[in-house]
Parts: sequence; structure tokens; C-alpha cells
Amino acid sequence: MNNAIPAAIEQVLLDERTIARRVSELAAQISADYAGLDDLVLIGVLKGAFIFLADLARQLTVPHHVDFIALSSYNKGTASSGAVRLIMDTRSSVTGRNVLIVEDILDTGYTLDYLLRIFRARNPASLRTCVLLSKPARRRVEVQVDYLGFEIPDVWVVGYGLDYADLFRTLPYIGALRKEVYTRG
Amino acid sequence: MGLYEDVERVLISEAELKARVAELGAQINALYSDEDRPLLVCVLKGAFIFLADLVRHLRIRHEIDFMEISSYGKGTASSGVVRILLDLEQNIEGRHVLVVEDIVDSGRTLDYITRNLRTRGPASLRVCTLLSKPARREIDIPLDFVGFEVPNEFVAGYGLDFAEEYRNLPFIGVLKASVMAGL
Repeated sequence: MNNAIPAAIEQVLLDERTIARRVSELAAQISADYAGLDDLVLIGVLKGAFIFLADLARQLTVPHHVDFIALSSYNKGTASSGAVRLIMDTRSSVTGRNVLIVEDILDTGYTLDYLLRIFRARNPASLRTCVLLSKPARRRVEVQVDYLGFEIPDVWVVGYGLDYADLFRTLPYIGALRKEVYTRG
Repeated sequence: MGLYEDVERVLISEAELKARVAELGAQINALYSDEDRPLLVCVLKGAFIFLADLVRHLRIRHEIDFMEISSYGKGTASSGVVRILLDLEQNIEGRHVLVVEDIVDSGRTLDYITRNLRTRGPASLRVCTLLSKPARREIDIPLDFVGFEVPNEFVAGYGLDFAEEYRNLPFIGVLKASVMAGL
């Protein structure tokens, strides 16, 4: 599917097979680490993480629950500031549970840092993070990543849940967007 | 593992799901054009795995939005009225909307959601559900895309849960009666 690569995509950074293999590895690692531990809850950050979460969860061999949160930044635009607005909180309480936050991409680190702080304040039994992509060149704040899919260069990536203005989110691979696309007006 | 031992039988296998989801994707590609730019509205949490697989088959331009709902508790079930915990990020006035559901049972919740969305003046409003259980239907609601009709049994997997468990089974299974009884 989606055989034709859109013109806005400069190159495919991570193809379907490469992503699938890495997601399996992450799932195996998480399953081993949480074996025998009760009450694991995966918290997916909308919208970007839903495809990663759907693939990851299906390969876990440990029982777990799934929950979602939705965030919104206070300023529009592409630069991340520290403050984010929690527009939907988790359905269930995380106190005393083993929490794994599932994120699509780690950029400046501000958002994940904020999430870790708010969830830590709820006294979970443990708190870890699983991030599909990391852009180390963009990091502004050091943040704990327990499970990482791939490190990528500082380019705008789309697909597998990641969007550009709500477009290209559902490409089955991760592609780098042409610079002209996101620097235009 | 425990999850698999609780399954009495596999109703729809992983391969059958994969093939059918691809067919549904092709039907959606055929119905809408790039200019329509349909907005797929996913009702959490049950539909997220179905959505994740379905959208990877779409070649038409589209967008995705999420809704999360919660019932008001007993007594309101017959009206289907639910509390919206997360509303759409987008204004759907004049947009082509496709609601993506995991299962249509009585139809009451879906009926309420579609009535709610219709008040916002979308250009069109359609429904795509992975599963439909006709034996349980109380409100006749038009379904534009249906993955599978299932018998009146408790099914779980591929996003559907029982008490928040079994969502991640890669197939749709029928749970053992002992599980349902909480034994």
C-alpha cells in the first residue's frame, strides 16, 4: 500500500520492515523487563503515538492496560516551548501502578519532561518511557528514555503517526519531508 | 501466557483481519477523493488498533481525529447519551466525516455520537466498523463499511477489551465462560 512516495517526501528514512523489526525488539525487551510484574499501564500520547502503540502492544507478552492522554501546546508553530496543556487526562489512576509512557518522537524533551513530572507526582510504582524516535541534536533538556526505537538526524519526519499539518500521518514508513515544504510561508 | 489461555476459540484470525482491513481500506480509497479530504474520527479506546492498521492502507488525502467518551452510568444506557471526555480537535462543518468504530452492538452509543456530529453540519457522515453484532441491535443505524458480522458472543482482541484486558490479542477471540464469570 501507499506505493507511490509523495513528492513532498525527500527520502524514506525508515522503511516498514525496519520499523517492524525494531518494534518487535522493543516489545521483547519490555516483555522481559515487566515479566512477573503486575499492573503495567501503557500511556499513549495522542495523536502521534497511536500507530506505534498499536503495533507495540500487540507484541507484548505481558498483561497490560492501555490508556491515552491528549496534549496541546500553548503556542502554535513548530518550536516547542516547555508548557503543554493536558486536554485529556488518563481514564484510570496510575497511583501504585507500573507506568510506561509511549511517545512517537523526542525533540527538545520539554514535553516528555513535563509528562514525567506530572506522572511522578501521582506516585506510580514505577515510571518509564518508550520513544520511537529521538532527535538528539534538538535536545534542550535531558530526559529519561528507557526504550528507544531509533535516533534520527534533525530533519522533519512524517509517517507512522507523525504528521506535518495533519498530513502524511498514516504513511506506513517514516520519511523526511523536503525542506521547501515546511519552510514555505 | 495467561491471555491466550483465557481464549475459548479464535473467531477471526490475524490473517483474516489483515486481509479484510486491506479490503476496507480499498473501499474507502474508492469512495473518497483527495479533494474530499475525509476526517476519520476514531472513538477511543477500542478502535485504535483497527484505525492504526486501516489508515496505513489509505492512499487518499485524509486526516485523523479522536474522541473519547464515557457513559454517565446506569439508567442512561437506553438513551445512548454519553459524556464526551475528549472532543474533536477539528471543526467538522462542511467536512466529510468517517466515524471509525471497533464494534456496533445495540447501536445506541453510535446513534448518539452520529446525532451529535450531525448537529455540527458535516458535508457527509459515514460509519466504518470492524465488527457488527446484529443480534444485539436495538437501533437501526446505517453502517457504510462493516468488517465482519459476529455472533452474539463476548469477543475480545484487536483493540476490544474485557475489563481492560485482552485488547492486544492480535486476533478476535471468544473468551472462556470462566473468564467472564470472573473465576
